[in-house]
Amino acid sequence: MVDPIYLIVIALATAFALGLFRKAPSLLPYGLTLAALAVMTVISGSWAYGILSGSLEGTDIFTAGFTPPVSINLYMGSLEAVLLLLVNLTALMTALVLRKEVKDTSVYMLMLLLVFVMGLNGVIMTRDLFNLFVFIEIVSIASAGLIALRSNLEQLGAGFKFVIAGALTSGFMLIGIIFTYYTTGSLNMDVIASQMSPALAATGYTGLFLIFIGMIMELKPFPVNGWGLDTYEASVPAVSALVAAGTTSAMFYAFLKTSYMSGGLFVQAAAVIGGMTFIGMNVLALQQDKSRRLLGYSSIAQIGLAVLAYALVALYRIENGEFIVFALILTHALAKALLFWLAGIVGKDSIHDWGVIKKKMILIAPFAVAVSALLGLPPFPSFFAKWDLVMGLAARGGMVWIILILSGSLLEAVYLMRWFGNAFKDSFNEEDTLDWRFGTVLPVFFNMTVLLALGYLSASQSSFSMGFNWILLGAVAVLMVLDFLPGIIKNLLLMGAIGYYGYGFVMAAESYRSVFAWIFALGALITLLPGFGVKGKRMGFYPSAALMFAGLIGLIEAVDFMGFFLSWEIMTLGSYFLILRGKDSKPHALSYMLFSLGGAYLLMTGFAMTYAGTGSIALGALVKAAIIPHSGIIFALLAVGFMTKMASAGLHIWLPGAHAEAETDVSPMVSGILLKAGVFGLLMTAISMGEQSIGPVSLPYVLSWVAVITALVANYMAAMQEDAKRLLAYSSIGQMGYALFGISLMSHLGWLSALVISIVHFIYKVTLFLAIGSVAKRTGTRNMYQMGGLITKMPFTFFSVLICIIALSGIPPLAGFSGKWIVYNAVLEKRWMLQGAVAGAAGIIAFLYLFRLIFAIFLGQLKDNHRKVKEAPFFLILPQALLLGLVMFFSFLPGSLLRPVGEILEEFTTAGALEWQGNMAISDYGYWNGVAVMWVFMALFAVFFLILTINGRRAQWIKQFNIVFAAERPARPETTHFSYNFFAPVRKALGFLEYPFTTNFWNRVSDFLHAVAGFCRRIYTGNGQTYLLQMVIFVVLSYMLTKGGF
Amino acid sequence: MTGTIALITGILLVLIGLWGILTNRDIIRMIVGFSLFDVGIHIIMLSIGYVAGGTAPIIENLSDIGKSYVDPVPQALVLTAIVIGLGITAFMLTYAVNMYEKKGTLEIDKFEELKW
Repeated sequence: MVDPIYLIVIALATAFALGLFRKAPSLLPYGLTLAALAVMTVISGSWAYGILSGSLEGTDIFTAGFTPPVSINLYMGSLEAVLLLLVNLTALMTALVLRKEVKDTSVYMLMLLLVFVMGLNGVIMTRDLFNLFVFIEIVSIASAGLIALRSNLEQLGAGFKFVIAGALTSGFMLIGIIFTYYTTGSLNMDVIASQMSPALAATGYTGLFLIFIGMIMELKPFPVNGWGLDTYEASVPAVSALVAAGTTSAMFYAFLKTSYMSGGLFVQAAAVIGGMTFIGMNVLALQQDKSRRLLGYSSIAQIGLAVLAYALVALYRIENGEFIVFALILTHALAKALLFWLAGIVGKDSIHDWGVIKKKMILIAPFAVAVSALLGLPPFPSFFAKWDLVMGLAARGGMVWIILILSGSLLEAVYLMRWFGNAFKDSFNEEDTLDWRFGTVLPVFFNMTVLLALGYLSASQSSFSMGFNWILLGAVAVLMVLDFLPGIIKNLLLMGAIGYYGYGFVMAAESYRSVFAWIFALGALITLLPGFGVKGKRMGFYPSAALMFAGLIGLIEAVDFMGFFLSWEIMTLGSYFLILRGKDSKPHALSYMLFSLGGAYLLMTGFAMTYAGTGSIALGALVKAAIIPHSGIIFALLAVGFMTKMASAGLHIWLPGAHAEAETDVSPMVSGILLKAGVFGLLMTAISMGEQSIGPVSLPYVLSWVAVITALVANYMAAMQEDAKRLLAYSSIGQMGYALFGISLMSHLGWLSALVISIVHFIYKVTLFLAIGSVAKRTGTRNMYQMGGLITKMPFTFFSVLICIIALSGIPPLAGFSGKWIVYNAVLEKRWMLQGAVAGAAGIIAFLYLFRLIFAIFLGQLKDNHRKVKEAPFFLILPQALLLGLVMFFSFLPGSLLRPVGEILEEFTTAGALEWQGNMAISDYGYWNGVAVMWVFMALFAVFFLILTINGRRAQWIKQFNIVFAAERPARPETTHFSYNFFAPVRKALGFLEYPFTTNFWNRVSDFLHAVAGFCRRIYTGNGQTYLLQMVIFVVLSYMLTKGGF
Repeated sequence: MTGTIALITGILLVLIGLWGILTNRDIIRMIVGFSLFDVGIHIIMLSIGYVAGGTAPIIENLSDIGKSYVDPVPQALVLTAIVIGLGITAFMLTYAVNMYEKKGTLEIDKFEELKW
């Protein structure tokens, strides 16, 4: 094996040799540089492979023919090897990206690059304090040279601030090093570490502190890091990439080494500084709209998180600490380098100009991967690291830190997701170009692949996992690779995969899981059908849909918390990408993502507390969690988490926009299928944990009120909409309110109603969204007052809507009635009359909006511009027809639905279960024979139909323009339409319900955070001298606080 | 005694240097401050290795063995530190020249293009 000292020798020798080439053609020195970096990559790679596979062992490298402490020694172990590989690879990629700059500037740049990389290699390997200082200075000088590569004013200013901040930091460090030498008599970190004792720590405190604070300042802690932000912003993006990935990783490792050396003396201070940096930077970044500065904020925040993670692992003795810390560092380095390279390709600084990235649609994939990885979403290493960290913290009582970490992550999601959404949705100037070259594109895709591969590898490293079904994600990956195929072929592949896998999956699902398994698998197949009608490749649609369905399937299959949570996040991510595809869905997709992540973090906390209380990571532990301390809090956390997905009142504001703006066949997926994931989770919690309370407050009782208020207000809001798809979206919120009410009843009948509502809501909401979607598609508008009279143009769609609204309204004889009938039985049983009354009122309001769907769209006069409207296309009608068949089947034979579902629930509770006599269901309060009702209804229908047909022969047909209008032209023609503001009198009476309490509340939260960010970031005055003053104050304050005991 | 005087001088120089860096807006004056700061650190380093009455840590002939001599390590370190300090100072001055050429001023608070 090559001696690692050659890493340094090669870089240094090549850098010197380049001096000979000043006037030679630029290709030769450039090739030489690439070759040197490639050789260094191979050397570090072979060490990494050797050590990790066990064929090599960590090795000391001695210099000058002596052993330490007399001479300097380096060390090559597994961590060093991995970091070296990371640094050298990033440098190699950066050299590729910098090809154009090499042509424009002199060969000095390449020398600087090599010296820079050499310094980083040294920082990682050295075990000698003074040697560390020397290498840090080398890195500092070389990077200061690279920062000012283009020598413009911004780069000069930023570079100078960087140099003076570095000089101050290294001055403190140097004093620290010499003091430490004075007290310990050695400069070798291992020797010092072996001597470390409380007495020595006390006498050598100042020296050790100065080394600690110096290393911390190299990591740019909040709030003394203005110079670091400037550096990230001003540099050529490729250089920023190397700084973000290389320098920070190497410096972080050096920080770890010195921290071990002092025996963890400053671990508490590190936790405070790391936590402060993570939160502070993420808050301040909210107001940032320059992409590279934004990345700078994010980089510093992520390093803060890594410092925090290291400190917490040490403080709480969390197992698997090495994995946690290094997964965070590696993910950050790979993702951040990728994003900076991407910033170079895009060439736009403002995040509002990133739309140009769509000129090469394929670049969206690495962008999405990097953002997801930074946010700690699955399946990336940071996800597993965060999971282990949170679980470990919960088990050791570190709840405060969990809250801090998760809030910081949520804040980070705000600005990263907003940026991603902007890039994906914003229009761009056709004349703008991308820097699309082999050298710039290869690194981006390389890092993307590495991130995905590392994610797969790190899953098995988590100590709180019982494994995950990777076949699901494998299918997504295959679709991602095959995205160049025509849409129809991908659709066939996906449907084939779901059909093939889904059969076994549905059969294997047990208990109430099987109900949801049916909804998810059948729903996937049915909602994918319309895809056959879409021409073209439909890039990105099928991988996203596959991701969502993989998550849904994984949710059912999960046996442990990790599996459940991972699937939950995957499902969220997939549905976010789907929703984002809608035309005007940018803000709605963002709020969907943020609410979902917030909810997910509550789930994570709930699971972690369950693990802490029961010591088990299996989902079944929820049953045991019913009797542990804080079980009420666990229940509340999980309930609110799941209710975010169900869009219960207060947490619903993301839904109307997200579901209304989504594409025609996406709306049914997210509304008809995805919402049921929340029902599933909540039902699981309720069944497992039973009735819980916090203090004297019974949680199911609280839920019941939230549920009926959700139903009431959402139904009212639905009635007031002019946009037909928004109407349906609000209707979904209302229906989920019923499901929530059913669960909150905590009885056999209550849960039965929740399951039945889930099933029938799936059927009719998918149908309705498809039907209304096809109307919107054919007429080009979603506003109901712009429609009318479409019954003759779209008869099937009319029929489909008619059947569904009867089913939805919950009146006999169609399937919706069974759900309602059971709810009212359950209410009587529970004696929650008041809630029952509100739910009943909500049901009546539902008629208002349902009626409008038929009346405004299909009846009345046909609009002039709709004379040529055709019936919906075949592939939108086919799924509706299938589902209508299902509605009719369940309507004729309600028992076929109620009986098996009821039997499932008898496993948990039999009290109040329905008795069956043939087709008649008997409860404690009455009976219902769905089949008889149906036949009676059919007979009556036939009689009236006959009478009307006979009378109708005498009716006179009136043409549309058989009416004379007054000779006035209204300013807003729609206001004269009978269907506009249809329920004006109701609005007069109940208008207060429309006041956007919730929206205003969340807007205020958002405004407040942004205002805080806008105010606080003024500490970054841009004045280098102020930054120095801040640093000096920071050092003095930290010294006083640590010395006094944090 | 000599060691203590050196140590105090060093610390004083470090503080004077810091004061200079933080109170002078002129970039050249700030760089001078940094030089003082550096020199102060170097003197502190030397004072750490000082042994009262010690000779240079060089053994010329056998009779030197057993004599008291000052710690050679800080002396070696200080040489390296001086070289690095020189490099950094030169680098800062290069920046100063370039900044002056671009903007025609050396006031540090005129270089606030990047902030927030």
